[in-house]
Amino acid sequence: MDIIYQIFSPDFLLRNSIYTSVLVGLACPLVGVFLVMRRLVFMGVALPQISSTGVAVALSLPLWFGFHPSEHGSHSVHMLAFAGSITFSLIAILTLAFLERRGRGQPEGRLGTAYVVAAALSILLLSKNPYGEIGWLDMLKGEVITISNFDLGLTAAALTLIVAALGVFHKELFLVSFDREMAMILRKNVVFWDVLLYLLIGLTVSISVLSVGPLIAFGFLLIPALTAHKIARNMRQFAILAPLIGGVTAFFGFCIAYKLDLPVGPTDVVLLGALYAGIWMIAGIIPRIGLRRTT
Amino acid sequence: MNEPLIILDNLSIGYNSQAVLSGISLSIARASFTAILGANGSGKSTLIKTILGLLPPVAGCINTDTPAAPLKYGYVPQAFQFDSIYLLTGFAVALMGVYGRVRPGRIVPSGERAFTHECLRAVGADEFAHRRFAELSGGQKQRVLIARALTMRPDVLVLDEPTVGVDREAKDLMLEFISRINKERKITVLLVTHDFAAVRDYAGQVIWLHGGKMSLGSTHELLTPERMAEIIETGVA
Repeated sequence: MDIIYQIFSPDFLLRNSIYTSVLVGLACPLVGVFLVMRRLVFMGVALPQISSTGVAVALSLPLWFGFHPSEHGSHSVHMLAFAGSITFSLIAILTLAFLERRGRGQPEGRLGTAYVVAAALSILLLSKNPYGEIGWLDMLKGEVITISNFDLGLTAAALTLIVAALGVFHKELFLVSFDREMAMILRKNVVFWDVLLYLLIGLTVSISVLSVGPLIAFGFLLIPALTAHKIARNMRQFAILAPLIGGVTAFFGFCIAYKLDLPVGPTDVVLLGALYAGIWMIAGIIPRIGLRRTT
Repeated sequence: MNEPLIILDNLSIGYNSQAVLSGISLSIARASFTAILGANGSGKSTLIKTILGLLPPVAGCINTDTPAAPLKYGYVPQAFQFDSIYLLTGFAVALMGVYGRVRPGRIVPSGERAFTHECLRAVGADEFAHRRFAELSGGQKQRVLIARALTMRPDVLVLDEPTVGVDREAKDLMLEFISRINKERKITVLLVTHDFAAVRDYAGQVIWLHGGKMSLGSTHELLTPERMAEIIETGVA
């Protein structure tokens, strides 16, 4: 309890860090609901990695042209990183979605290749970057400790926009995902709704990668949604439970990490994994009373 | 015969500009019950998807006799095609039919929700509409999908093999119900099936696709043993 009092104290130094963790914990799982529904789980793995490669490329570009971006302030570094992240995320998601829509080749193969090439490229870029191992590597790893008010404001604004858009247009997004033909017969612009969903996914991934890093972004994108899917009875419960699991885990993960002096992100992911395993086992042991009765 | 509602004029259908079936010229009358028969791969689903506007015609055109507003189709796809990962209830699936009348971002009005309940009641699906769609039996799913098509307030009801995976009793009840709404609500019905016997008592007109050819006629003309044998043997219209 003492830790919780400390965390809620206005003088708490890591206040921005816990706010950011909880914001990502609440918003990512909502996007994860659509990734799970559309069976794009592998995309949820590859995209954060590709996004972090975008950060590495964006931060390396100025050095290749002979100047150091941090001379222009940390905000400009952050905006540059965000530009790289969002550009790579959107190009990747739109390309992968287009290839999947055409139905040729192996989607798993494409996503696996994109993931491993992106990871290798990040390492190569950082190895040739004199500043990479100091501050930028922390950014790519998801250092949740040093988050400025500006970063927190940007994260909060972007994630609020994403959650609002998903909430307002959930009807159209679910229709296009569940029954594309029906949506076309109802004269819905299916390409527009697909692109909107992909833009929201790309934006979420970019913001989350910058805030908490690719590993944790992936964890929050998928594990809460997969856990909620085990216990939810309908889409409404699914869409409420997934962010709830993410937000609560982010908060308690932070408390545990603070108490035991552990890195926050990996603590959150391990906690999410333990929760998922627990729910999975309970649902398996007592299938008859199952958590999923609908009648 | 009633006035023509849908006119197919020298239509060729297929995928990626490759025709599966060519030279289709026929008309479907308003408030008629037409069965589209044929074996797997004969082009039945391609034909209805082209009529619905889901596939572009390879050649020819489709004209509809509705000058004031575009024709409204209520589509009943095959129930097994839906991914069971979606935690949608039967009601939520049926409610999608009204989305065409609700602007993006708006909440579905209570009147439309009540109308959806009414459509579910009409097909006898209200008892299980609160259950998850993925957990319903084949026949129950089809009823929900028919209710969804009715919520679209359609001029034409298009059903793609609605009796597949449904037991005999449920099949008879379903065809009886479709026949009733055809007569009572004057909704034109296009029913795709490969079950010849099932449609004999209900359809007025039959479009039979076989061996890349199309035969058209009334149920009594086409579904006689002699004519059926002739079509199967020669593939001639």
